[in-house]
Amino acid sequence: MRLLKLFVPVLLSIILIVLDTRFSYLDNFKKFTLTLLSPIYVIVDLPSQVINWVNDKGADNEILIGENDYLKSQLIELKARLQTYNNLALENQKISELLDSSYEIPNHDVLLARVKSISQSRLSNKIVIDKGLNDEVALSQLVVASNGVVGQVIQVTPLFSTVRLITDPTQFMPVKNARNGIRGITKGMASNEKGMIVEYVPLDSDVKVGDLFLTSGIGNSYPSGYLVGRVTSIDDSLDASFLSITLQPSQNMNKLEMVLIIKGKND
Amino acid sequence: MTNSNHFFLLVKISIIAFITGAISLPFSLELASPFWLLPFFSYWVIYSNGKNFYTAAFILGILLDIIEGGTLGQNAVALVLSSAFILNVKKSFFVSNLTTQQVYIFLGSIIYLIIFLLVQQLTQGLNFEWLILLSPFTSAILWPLIRYLLAKLKQ
Repeated sequence: MRLLKLFVPVLLSIILIVLDTRFSYLDNFKKFTLTLLSPIYVIVDLPSQVINWVNDKGADNEILIGENDYLKSQLIELKARLQTYNNLALENQKISELLDSSYEIPNHDVLLARVKSISQSRLSNKIVIDKGLNDEVALSQLVVASNGVVGQVIQVTPLFSTVRLITDPTQFMPVKNARNGIRGITKGMASNEKGMIVEYVPLDSDVKVGDLFLTSGIGNSYPSGYLVGRVTSIDDSLDASFLSITLQPSQNMNKLEMVLIIKGKND
Repeated sequence: MTNSNHFFLLVKISIIAFITGAISLPFSLELASPFWLLPFFSYWVIYSNGKNFYTAAFILGILLDIIEGGTLGQNAVALVLSSAFILNVKKSFFVSNLTTQQVYIFLGSIIYLIIFLLVQQLTQGLNFEWLILLSPFTSAILWPLIRYLLAKLKQ
């Protein structure tokens, strides 16, 4: 009888593992339960909220003025760079018209979110952000930071969302070489330090150390053109069918504070 | 203690375990930290006369899987099997000194860790970090503190 009592929950757990891994029948149940449990996130996040609030209230006037000056100078610099970008966009549009191409530079809506000090499963690379269903965050949306792609939204509750980082071994992302458009799929490696690998790039492809890889937008899941990483090593041993390319993520995942959620998909 | 008291103690213990587990730590510390739910739940198994331990372990494991965004059932199966071990040594545990109790918690945590890693390997490939092997040690080291705090909570 005691063995039976043990056997039933073990069997149920195994069934749930299989169902959750292979199918998506349980997604609604998970979403609903996580919404009920999300006050736990609120409680865990409370101390950092209080610290932020105290810091904001107690910030020295001089520091704020200094920070304001710095941000203004940054804004001017970025606006200057944007002028070059606008010229390029205009030129691109003219060439597209000459070639009778229908390609247009996409203009995606973005949403700023703060990374919360909430931990999730220890063997996977995930972060929790302070925007959720209430802010129209949806599953699969791309998340970027100032230096490049961070990851993808995999779980949404009304107040919070979970983002799986591109360095997670279960995160795959279609990418292309910025220099020549060669396509592949990135997959995270065990830890941030080891970066990512690019799979399915044929042996004779022209890829060099230092090349940049961007999101390719293939599969219509992600918007294209966002910086993913830089090639750090290439292994072209002839016994393999594909190149083994290692990428260093352009965004340092250990120093994330604010991120942008890209709301549009590939156009 | 009445049945409802046992239930409320379990609810309080579980909430504290979930909150403790969700607190963000530096990468290395997080890997080496205990699987918090196990020592907390072990306390309930040992010091309460409640029933349906396996059902409780299963439900709490599922809730933890959902909070952690992991594979549903992963923590559940690990918690059910490791609490089966704790339940097996319950009588001995109750009369043991602190060091022996720490050994039991250490063994329970090893069972938990092995099952956790096994499920991880089977479902999504093992993303192994050596530091995670320290978690049974930290569970055992922190057991006296956990026991003390939960005893205060129980009063």
